[in-house]
Amino acid sequence: MRLFRVGLFASVAVTGTLIACSPASDEVAPLRQGIIYCSEGNPESFNPQLGTSGTTIDATSAQLYDRLIDYDDEQQAFVPALATRWQAMDKGKRYRFTLRDNVQFHQTPWFTPSRPLQAHDVAFSFRRWLNTGHPYHEVNGGSYPFFTASGLNRLIEQVTVIDDKTVEFQLSRSDSSFLANLATDFAVILSAEYGAELLSRGTPEQLDKQPIGTGPFVFEEFRKDLIIRYHRHENYWREAPEIEQLVYSITPNANKRMLKLLTGECDVIPYPLVEELALLDTGDDIQISSTVNPNIAFWAFNTDHPPFDNVLVRRAMAHAINRPAIIQTIYNGNARLATGVLPETSWAYSPVDLTYGYDPQRARELLTEAGLAEGFSFDIWAMPVQRAYNPNAQKMAELIQSDLAHIGVQANIVSYEWNAFRRRLARDEHDSVLIGWIADNADPDNFFRPLLSCAAVNVGTNRANWCVPEFDDLLIRAITENKTETRKKLYHEAENWIYREVPLVPIANSMRFQASRSDIHGVEVPAYGGVSFRQAYRSDGAQP
Amino acid sequence: MIRYSLRRLTLLLVTLWLLTVFLFALNYFFPGDALTNMTGVRSADALHYQRLVAERNFDGSIFAQYLAFLSHFMTGDWGQSLTTQRDVFNELLPLFGATLELSLLAMILALVIGAPLGLYAAGQQRGTMDRVIMGVSLSAYSIPVFWLAQLFILFFAVKLGWTPISGQINPLFDIEVRSGAIIADILLSDSSYKSAALADAINHLWLPVIVLAIMPATMLMRITRNSMLDVLQQNFIRAARARGLSEARILLRHALPNAMQPVVRQLGLMFSVLMSNIIVTEVIFNWPGIGGWLVKSIYERDYPVMQGGLFAIAAIILLVNVAVELFHAWRYPQVRKELYAEH
Repeated sequence: MRLFRVGLFASVAVTGTLIACSPASDEVAPLRQGIIYCSEGNPESFNPQLGTSGTTIDATSAQLYDRLIDYDDEQQAFVPALATRWQAMDKGKRYRFTLRDNVQFHQTPWFTPSRPLQAHDVAFSFRRWLNTGHPYHEVNGGSYPFFTASGLNRLIEQVTVIDDKTVEFQLSRSDSSFLANLATDFAVILSAEYGAELLSRGTPEQLDKQPIGTGPFVFEEFRKDLIIRYHRHENYWREAPEIEQLVYSITPNANKRMLKLLTGECDVIPYPLVEELALLDTGDDIQISSTVNPNIAFWAFNTDHPPFDNVLVRRAMAHAINRPAIIQTIYNGNARLATGVLPETSWAYSPVDLTYGYDPQRARELLTEAGLAEGFSFDIWAMPVQRAYNPNAQKMAELIQSDLAHIGVQANIVSYEWNAFRRRLARDEHDSVLIGWIADNADPDNFFRPLLSCAAVNVGTNRANWCVPEFDDLLIRAITENKTETRKKLYHEAENWIYREVPLVPIANSMRFQASRSDIHGVEVPAYGGVSFRQAYRSDGAQP
Repeated sequence: MIRYSLRRLTLLLVTLWLLTVFLFALNYFFPGDALTNMTGVRSADALHYQRLVAERNFDGSIFAQYLAFLSHFMTGDWGQSLTTQRDVFNELLPLFGATLELSLLAMILALVIGAPLGLYAAGQQRGTMDRVIMGVSLSAYSIPVFWLAQLFILFFAVKLGWTPISGQINPLFDIEVRSGAIIADILLSDSSYKSAALADAINHLWLPVIVLAIMPATMLMRITRNSMLDVLQQNFIRAARARGLSEARILLRHALPNAMQPVVRQLGLMFSVLMSNIIVTEVIFNWPGIGGWLVKSIYERDYPVMQGGLFAIAAIILLVNVAVELFHAWRYPQVRKELYAEH
């Protein structure tokens, strides 16, 4: 019998050793010199020019690339980045930029730059989406939603290289939002040399897959659904980042992200489940930070699909939903009831409430007036992911569903995987959708033209499919105007227009949350744009 | 033995061939364009698509299409993913390594725990320990793996903080992916932190391995116990006892080898159970293996990836089963004789 016991002990011992082999290896250099960010999804590509998704921006813009100019939220001013100086000429119809000296592109196993940044690189980056005849225009889809929706592709007539260090933009009219658009995360500068090399190799599509930029981190590898790996750009023109390695561990599940933060597998996570983290006793290990985020969550009606082509029905819907209850349930009070399309953070914001109050009785009357007293049935599309403006679109859809049931309207909730969701939205398959918008720059125009202009219908960011040429004219007038007070009035007029026509119901302006281990510092989430790890570092000795 | 092996191998080839016919047929049953489903190239990419129509005989009969499919399939051209445009076969290899590593370790652990505990229980027949072991094994057997995994994560990782819960290794260790099996990759790598990386990898490994091993281990325990009890009742054991052989000698030299025969026969079946559990486990632990990949591809309707994943999992189950059968027949000649009534 003794031998049986030996067998038993042997098996227990093996299990025991396995368990014992769990030393916390915090002292090892690679772990001390790197940061893991658990992102919420795969980037669509590694070039922000091609998309508008926040996930892509977070993974690429601030890490891999630089822009000509940056926007400093504290000073509320534009500050030099790749361009050291710029001047407006011809009454704002021509802009001339002087580039910084000695800005180095990334050196990687697949590309070795032979020269620093030149005006040709700037021209290449802009001509790619400006000129339909450009050899790179059609590469990887040929769609540049931000530039089309913001009208930048029609505003810029020409990009001219004056000399190696000077580049000039010729505009079709003076536009007060031009600089703001150049400072967004989309207006990144690529390498013309790399582009030419890829063309000669016959693999142009690699431009957006194996990116080369001037940013603080160099792309190393991407394994879909697993990780993105970056390392420090040693020759960065600003001070090089303190951390040597930056890893994005892709974790779409919000609960899993929270658990991984608790076990220390994530150093920083976006969109944490704030209330659930607060319930857990995490001690001093975890810190939660929030930034004011210029965003708006809204419910857009596809005005091409009946009965939403009828403004009475849209108004009825706006009266039927109990927005204060939604704010309480979905945002736990971490959001403000929206009073219009512009959030409070915008300078053009006016404190007049331009929304419809909760009034089911009035909603029924409006429906009767529209000849739909019997009620009707339609789809609400709810985003499958959390965004800063809406932490739980599914739940919000359920609340709306029950509110609508009170006025005899039946809503069905529909959802798809995020990338498929956006594709189908752009194809106008929805009746109505719960989605939102995060501003890319400080200009109020960014809340109107990308969301409700006719150009935005074509690129698919106008979720309401609402195209009114007169409204477009109003927006154009607002951006060609230079006086702030006049612009403010014009935007107020635009808000009133939206209030009357209800292409969408504004719901909330919320905060953007981020949670991190308490030894991580310097991770920036600027109000306009994606997360930046340039100044991130790990404090030593914070470990107990 | 040669005749038996040939029959088994022929059967394996026929099954694998039928599998390719099934995969080929799937391309037509899935919604959308059959050629796109097969190769992952959309007709929007006109140039590439036209070339493939010619390459894959899509102008020809369905048989010609199948032959073209088979020849591409055999040479490792499994198309490209619809979502990432990467080559399916090359993507699959490291994932296969990761799955193999996890499943082999779990199988070994199951053997190391299950067989000795079964033997011990047999020795203590109807004793307290026997009842305890059998009771525990029955209850462990009835716990579904997805629930067990969550429970273990909450207890070992979140409550006790002993272990991480996802992936193969802390991604800050920049270990180059070669085979996909993390331990092999660390040993092959030129990292200057090999031992730390190895410790970290083992720390990531043990929880999923235990979760996976529990189900086959409980099966093994009960099979081993029952077959040992059978053998102990045989006349030759009584004869050995009568001759005054020591109990240890009787058990190890005479009873054990005979008792292992039905156990070995069940190993193939146990591996199949393990493979279906591994899909769930990989998803829960974010293990970069075939299972998680297959599930993701189903969500994304990525047909070329789905086919690759299906084939890989089906093929590995078939291969292991045939290997177990061959080993069984080689090790226990009486089995072959029973099969063919030879003497």
